[in-house]
Amino acid sequence: MRLSAADRRRPTLGDGLVVLVVAAAALLLLAALRPKGTDSLTATITLDGQVVAQYQLAELSQPVSLTLEQAPYPLTIQIEADGVSILHSACPSQDCVRTGRITQTGQQIICLPNRLVVSLTGAGDLEFDAVTG
Amino acid sequence: MAHGLQRLTRAAVLTALALALSVAEGLAPLTILFPLPGLRLGLANLVTVYALCRLSGREALLILVARCLLGSLLGGNLMALAFSLTGGLLALAVMALLLRVPGLSLFGVSIAGAAAHNTGQILAAMVVLGGRAPLVYLPPLLLCSLVTGAVTGGVSILLVQRIPAPGRP
Repeated sequence: MRLSAADRRRPTLGDGLVVLVVAAAALLLLAALRPKGTDSLTATITLDGQVVAQYQLAELSQPVSLTLEQAPYPLTIQIEADGVSILHSACPSQDCVRTGRITQTGQQIICLPNRLVVSLTGAGDLEFDAVTG
Repeated sequence: MAHGLQRLTRAAVLTALALALSVAEGLAPLTILFPLPGLRLGLANLVTVYALCRLSGREALLILVARCLLGSLLGGNLMALAFSLTGGLLALAVMALLLRVPGLSLFGVSIAGAAAHNTGQILAAMVVLGGRAPLVYLPPLLLCSLVTGAVTGGVSILLVQRIPAPGRP
């Protein structure tokens, strides 16, 4: 079987088209998911599809640190008036800790090994018009 | 008979190579530089590209599935299997299609494969987490796949040029 692509050594115009399509898809998706700015933020902590805690950030007078012992890899979440971060986690990848602090509506911290999502939403600002499944 | 044995050995060697590449990649993860879940160079994809170009689609599929199954045993993470398999199968399908499109080089094929892999991973994550939350990571992952796909594309061109089809000198 001969495939023309296998014999080329240099990028072609078609490659540029692929690059454009992928970049356009990324930018379109980025625009579609762009958060709308709001003042009052709600932090929702979801573990394995279940909402375990919800905080109105504006109502916090001092930082709250929440430890989830029931998670597969126990972790500690720091909730402050101006953002949420994961202080430490026993999970192997540590992506959630490295994500750092989220401060804006639409931002998320995801810990896949724990199936945990921490998301910030603005008041009355539903991120998606429908969630199925 | 001897031909079948040759095919089997060739597929086994390539599976081992893909497995070794993905383990090696895991030792120096890109996520240290850039904390984006799911980000990786995709070195094991080199083997898929090579198998698609020089062997057959069927062998590429077998190598991919064997690599994902064995890789999840090595990594000890069954959930990683869902991600690597969905991503890998989608990337394989897209690359097999694009290889038949005239006017593309392996750069374009690899970039599309990397983008497809990321899309598959995010789709799997959306199913696992039961929501659309992971979608937020897709745009940056797609932009990164332009770079990682171009790098693996360049390497796969060398690979496919330098290593001729086995058994056909």
